Amino acid sequence: MITLKNTTKTYEINKNNSVTALDNITINIKEGELVVLKGVSGSGKSTILSLIAALTKPTIGEVIVNEKRVSKLPDNFASDYRQQDIGFIFQKYNLIPTLSVQDNILLPLVPTNPDEVEAKAKLDRVMEQFNIAHKKDTMVRSLSGGEQQRVAIARAHINDPKIIIADEPTANLDEKLSLDFIEILRGLKDSGKTIVVATHDPLFFNLDIVDRVIEVQGGKIL
Amino acid sequence: MKNNLNLYLIEFAINALLRAKSKNIFILVVFTLLTALLTAVFLITGSIKHELQSTVDALPQITVQKIKAGRHYDIDTSVADEILTIAGVSEAVPRVWGYYYFENAGVNFSVVGIEQYEAQYKDSFAKLVEKFDFEELSSQSSMVVGRGVKEVMSSSYYKEYFNFIKPDGSLKKVTVAGVFDGDTELESNDMILMSKEDVREIFDMQEGKATDIVVKVPNPEEVTTVASKIKLMYPDTRVISSTDLKISYQNIFDYKSGVFLALFVVALFTFFMIIYDKASGLSSEEKREIGILKAIGWRVDDILKEKFYESFILSFLAYLFGILSAFGFVYLLQAPLLREIFVGYSQLKTSFELPFVFEIQTLFLVFFLSVPIYIAATIIPSWRAATLEVDEVIR
Repeated sequence: MITLKNTTKTYEINKNNSVTALDNITINIKEGELVVLKGVSGSGKSTILSLIAALTKPTIGEVIVNEKRVSKLPDNFASDYRQQDIGFIFQKYNLIPTLSVQDNILLPLVPTNPDEVEAKAKLDRVMEQFNIAHKKDTMVRSLSGGEQQRVAIARAHINDPKIIIADEPTANLDEKLSLDFIEILRGLKDSGKTIVVATHDPLFFNLDIVDRVIEVQGGKIL
Repeated sequence: MKNNLNLYLIEFAINALLRAKSKNIFILVVFTLLTALLTAVFLITGSIKHELQSTVDALPQITVQKIKAGRHYDIDTSVADEILTIAGVSEAVPRVWGYYYFENAGVNFSVVGIEQYEAQYKDSFAKLVEKFDFEELSSQSSMVVGRGVKEVMSSSYYKEYFNFIKPDGSLKKVTVAGVFDGDTELESNDMILMSKEDVREIFDMQEGKATDIVVKVPNPEEVTTVASKIKLMYPDTRVISSTDLKISYQNIFDYKSGVFLALFVVALFTFFMIIYDKASGLSSEEKREIGILKAIGWRVDDILKEKFYESFILSFLAYLFGILSAFGFVYLLQAPLLREIFVGYSQLKTSFELPFVFEIQTLFLVFFLSVPIYIAATIIPSWRAATLEVDEVIR
């Protein structure tokens, strides 16, 4: 379902300097799999997630998702792909702090101009599912870290995407909240989603729901 | 049926404006003030242009004045009969008039003599002689005054009469028989009309003399020729054609327009400074927000549409408020301060109201000078941020 083929990603720092974040890696992830990318900060895990979500393009190689060459997609098609197929849970959540919980969750639907009833049904469903309905009118800036993460998950899930991507999802959470998150992941896996998590949190490495742990180091797969 | 207009996007745009309330209120206020200033400049210019045009149109085609030692003296009324013999002249009317300085208010009034059964050189006077009998007014020592004169006199407690001081120091009491509205404000506001006999008495002018003579030439092409013929007949006169007067009025107007142009340039300059500041880039927070929206599936055109709604709402509101404020400022408040630039040259004039002149072009001009430019200044930096690689923006 997800394939990174001989992929290299280099970031230009300036004219004379560049950093190779990924160096000729190949990864295959099957549909319904939960894969954990393990590695220290700066190892290249987040770059792999950005490539899968078409947030950036590889310098060399290609990224294929559902037989779609996402690494070659023009900008607007890449947006459509993210809108329909990807639910991204960012490390720092990337919520809009001055919007309410429900307005943040609805954001991915806004460009599709959805029917009001349909939009409300989707909103209620995800807010219930991720236990955030009681805070729907609260500004996200006044939520706790765990609540903000649930908003980010609900937003990633509102379009019912096939692929869920999470970047360091427990980095800002205490142990209890981390376990809560794992339970959420379990639910998502049970519903058939393909999940890719980048983390260095040991909690994930021996989980029964994790199908594979891929270790990334210095931009290479070990 | 699904609405084609994306109300979610409009709602998001309104929310975005409200989220940065202080900043956007500041922009709205500054933008409104600039739009109001621009519009006010256009409206005042339009009003005064209209007023001056009406005044110029009402000017006599040829005015003949007697000149002695380089100064203006009274002219013999018999000259009018001689002028009438020139081919192409249909009327030559001796005018008896002068300025009377009203010390209490520090203004000059134009005192004009009217002969009831004489050909009137102005349409407005012809209408007045139908309404008031100047022969009867003469027998009662009465006058008809312009609205501005009435106001100034009333404020000095001369509600029913006024005592004119004659050159020999004696007084002439003249009662107010009525108030008139002239064709144009500039012309009629400071005017006092009475019989020629009374005007002569007030200014100590001899019988058979007039201040000047106005000449009517039905064919406008012949005005210059007739003027030169009069000059040949009476070399001791100054012959002024309406074209000369138009030029001198236009010079005053152009000078005043220059002052307004300076104001206009300052307003535009300030506006473009704001625009430049806006177009030069987005804050890191704004860029990040665009990055987040793209990361969750918004297309570049969705972001630009949202930014369009945001900037259109703000700039169109400022445009509307600016236009309304300018109309209120110019026509209700009579443009305090700004108006002085134009009518202030005439300390001699009494009060003057800017006539309402509505030109749809002015509204379009101000619209195109403000709204689309502001929208472009908002959209261009947003487009730049939206076309960057998302990963680069949100990391």
